[in-house]
Amino acid sequence: MKRKVLMAFGLLAAFATILFCLALPGSQAQAKTYQIGTDVTYPPFEFANKNNKYVGIDIDIIKSIAKEEGFKVNVKPVGFNAAVQSVQSGQLDGIIAGMTITPERKDKFDFGTPYYKTGAVMAVKKGSDITSFKQLKGKKVALKTGTAAADYANSLKKKYGFKTVTFDDSDNIYQDVTTGNSVACFDDQPVLQYGIKHGLKLQIASKPANQGWYGFGVKKGTHKALIKKFNAGLKKIQANGTYDKIVGKYLGTANNSKVKGKTFTIGTDVTFPPFEFANKNNKYVGIDMDLIRAIANEQGFKVKIKALGFNAAVQAVESGQADGVIAGMSITNERKAQFDFSKPYFNSGVVMAVAQNSKIHKLSELRGKRVAVKTGTSGADYANSIKKKYGFKVVTFDDSNNMYADVSTGNSVACFEDHPVMQYAIKQGTKLKIVTKPALNAPYGFAVKKGHNQALLQAFNQGLADLKASGTYDSIKAKYLGADEIKTAAKTSGNDAEDRTFIGLIKQNKGALLSGLQETLWLTVVSIFFATIFGVLVGLMGVVPNKFSQGTSTTLIYLFRGMPLLVLALFIYTGIPSLTGQKIPAFVAGVVTLTFNEGAYIAAFVKGGIQAVDPGQMEASRSLGLPFGKAMRKVILPQGIRIMVPSFINQFIITLKDTSILSIIGLLELTQTGKIIIARNLEGFKVWTIVAAIYLIIITVLTWLSNWVQRRTKV
Amino acid sequence: MSEKVKVTNLVKTFGDNEVLKGINLTVQKNEVVVIIGPSGSGKSTLLRNLNKLEEPTSGSIVIDNVDIARNDVDINAVRENIGMVFQHFNLFKNLSVGENIMLAPVELKKQTKDKAAIQAKQLLKTVGLEEKFDATVQSLSGGQQQRVAIARALAMNPDIMLFDEPTSALDPEMVGDVLAVMKDLAKQGMTMVVVTHEMGFAKEVADRVVFVDDGQILEEGTPEQIFEHPKNERLQDFLNKILNV
Ligand SMILES: Nc1ncnc2c1ncn2[C@@H]1O[C@H](COP(=O)(O)OP(=O)(O)OP(=O)(O)O)[C@@H](O)[C@H]1O
Ligand SMILES: [Mg+2]
Repeated sequence: MKRKVLMAFGLLAAFATILFCLALPGSQAQAKTYQIGTDVTYPPFEFANKNNKYVGIDIDIIKSIAKEEGFKVNVKPVGFNAAVQSVQSGQLDGIIAGMTITPERKDKFDFGTPYYKTGAVMAVKKGSDITSFKQLKGKKVALKTGTAAADYANSLKKKYGFKTVTFDDSDNIYQDVTTGNSVACFDDQPVLQYGIKHGLKLQIASKPANQGWYGFGVKKGTHKALIKKFNAGLKKIQANGTYDKIVGKYLGTANNSKVKGKTFTIGTDVTFPPFEFANKNNKYVGIDMDLIRAIANEQGFKVKIKALGFNAAVQAVESGQADGVIAGMSITNERKAQFDFSKPYFNSGVVMAVAQNSKIHKLSELRGKRVAVKTGTSGADYANSIKKKYGFKVVTFDDSNNMYADVSTGNSVACFEDHPVMQYAIKQGTKLKIVTKPALNAPYGFAVKKGHNQALLQAFNQGLADLKASGTYDSIKAKYLGADEIKTAAKTSGNDAEDRTFIGLIKQNKGALLSGLQETLWLTVVSIFFATIFGVLVGLMGVVPNKFSQGTSTTLIYLFRGMPLLVLALFIYTGIPSLTGQKIPAFVAGVVTLTFNEGAYIAAFVKGGIQAVDPGQMEASRSLGLPFGKAMRKVILPQGIRIMVPSFINQFIITLKDTSILSIIGLLELTQTGKIIIARNLEGFKVWTIVAAIYLIIITVLTWLSNWVQRRTKV
Repeated sequence: MSEKVKVTNLVKTFGDNEVLKGINLTVQKNEVVVIIGPSGSGKSTLLRNLNKLEEPTSGSIVIDNVDIARNDVDINAVRENIGMVFQHFNLFKNLSVGENIMLAPVELKKQTKDKAAIQAKQLLKTVGLEEKFDATVQSLSGGQQQRVAIARALAMNPDIMLFDEPTSALDPEMVGDVLAVMKDLAKQGMTMVVVTHEMGFAKEVADRVVFVDDGQILEEGTPEQIFEHPKNERLQDFLNKILNV
């Protein structure tokens, strides 16, 4: 029996190596890049912003240090636990994930100089009357697995008699409390503070306990050089102010002078990046948002932001429902009849952008060429108003990304877009450049209802002036538009809204969803290919008249069918590298996992299918003098395969669905994509509905396809 | 007459169950031997040992002077010379009637496809089914299937044919057609070992009848000796039962 198990493992290893070699062209090309693991979502330390770019204190710190010290980092948001395990298994070089330095962790990790002080606190639902641990008796408390705060809570559990539920990420523990499933949660203080500051409906109900420090960790005894570089870099960025800037950027400097303590309701657009848009916590950020908050902070009042949509926000102010509106709103004479405007805080205008390597820099060079615009924007209005004069053709897109892509791929030679929007896109990595001065200049203003809220208006003007003086105004702009050029103009009807309808969500996340789907399909196809080979081999081994081969087959099927897919995935991704010292890319680990798991099921039904063929068929073949192999090929298999076809199709569909489990090892397939989108916009129901629908559509198509194939093979 | 098959002291056990308890049986060339006996007595097992569909536990089975009970014989080559017909026909369901007959000759490189097809048609003619060459197995009646199975077994030109209750899965009206084919074969001098409950066939065609009970041969002789003057008490019981049903 032992020998069989050994043999199974040998096979496994051999298979893994083959796959590894097959699917790994040049993944280790960049040699001096460190692979750093981080959490999927742990704001303000790490989270995906609207463009699915990972930002946060941790990310910014490690990147600044890398820049300072001249190395490269590849930050992988694989989740806290996966990151910890991957560092231990050598898949990743280091981890920066709001990881508290604890004695236990020191057994396994070497930590760099502590970079952030923290403590565990309890938070309860806003308005809850729970203020002490005693009140938790018999109640449920939500924890995030593997955190120091969870350890703290577990240490109190017995004494105070509460129950705990654990989740894999912060959003889930917060939600569990806000929905009332749990009465409290424990998390690190800065994280909770940040969340609450950004609209989380919780309140902190205990003093920070188990105060500790966050540290950057590597596997004990490895990467001494990396730790050294980290410490040196941390020292430098703390000395030159970068560190404070990073922390300030996410947590805000809390120094205010004249506290009036009043709360004003401010209406804004739903989405008009870079002026206002929801980040992953569903908290509105952008130039307008940062500005109004900074001003409120500076002037000592509070604001309640209502993202109503442009028209609704304007009407809310007119009706007195909201005190003011800041929504990329151009100051026009018509509007002045109903509103009092602040001093202009931004000048926008329409610009022309071309591909980075394009030589075009004048409107007159567009003659006979194609120009891309986005429907309903002032850029489109402007382009249409001058296309006769300059003799170009206009092609319209629904979506900015497509418009940009049309230009960067060279289908169109240029596009027209609002200047700040274009700047923002370029800052986010769009490969275009702006070549004209803004046209159709129009200033943006903050507005209140005519004759009302004059104190607010004055405070805004005062605050704006102060921020301009202190440089905060410039840094807000720079944050969204890039540091280079900050001057400009335009008018846009802020109706570019990011809506939260299904169609809106699909539109916004089309790119992410499609690439997630692509990954899912690719994983499925590659896995089913290898799983079929593996399964057919193992299945056939199970029917040849040889005890050893049958035993091997049975053992393999037993092993890989008996192991939960999730465990197998983690074992292969983190376990195998620990055994062999050889890294496995997540994709390969995923394929190997599915190959073994789905392969075992395939083996079982291949075996079963063959065994289901009447034994008389084999006897009759053998009695004619046909050798076993020939009898198998000519008589048994053709009948067995017919029995197996429905199982194969079924297995294909199961494999497609099972790929979702591989999100655990950080593969950016459809489910993981969904998780990340939800972490950002908290539209759980809608996004999961969309994701579910995509799976269903693909599976329906597959089913049709396979029914068609089945009908053809029946002939 | 020469010895075609000589079984000596054949024992077959399944686990603890001794099914054949030392069988001694000789079949001469061109002889038709009919084996009768109660259910579970070991008739099928005996037959299946003759082409090693079952592995003999001990004893020897000499066919054409070769002991096939030994492990070093090429059993596939031996089987080419021994045709077998099963109770449930066992036609290949994935193949047409013609293909069923042609499979072994073509696969074992005895014949080209064309020649095998010509032979298959001839064999079908001899069993009265020449028009069924392209038919699917599923479209045939039981009796037709069994006749195709006989044709399939004959396609390898065997010099011994084994039949294991070839008619007992058939509707009564089909039995005659199959027996007729077997009678023809016997007339042509085929060496045949037939397990059957068709006593009429045994009386008419058999050169010798063998009574097997509880894994042993209790009596053998000409049909007349066995059916008219049975000596063994158990044989008398057996005949009483089946003839009086
Ligand atoms: N593969 C096997 N494994 C175990 N026992 C078997 C096997 N084949 C046959 N036997 C047993 O051997 C005994 C003889 O079976 P066999 O089929 O030879 O009887 P038979 O005389 O052909 O009966 P019938 O007239 O019902 O066909 C029976 O008790 C049966 O259960
Ligand atoms: Mg039998």
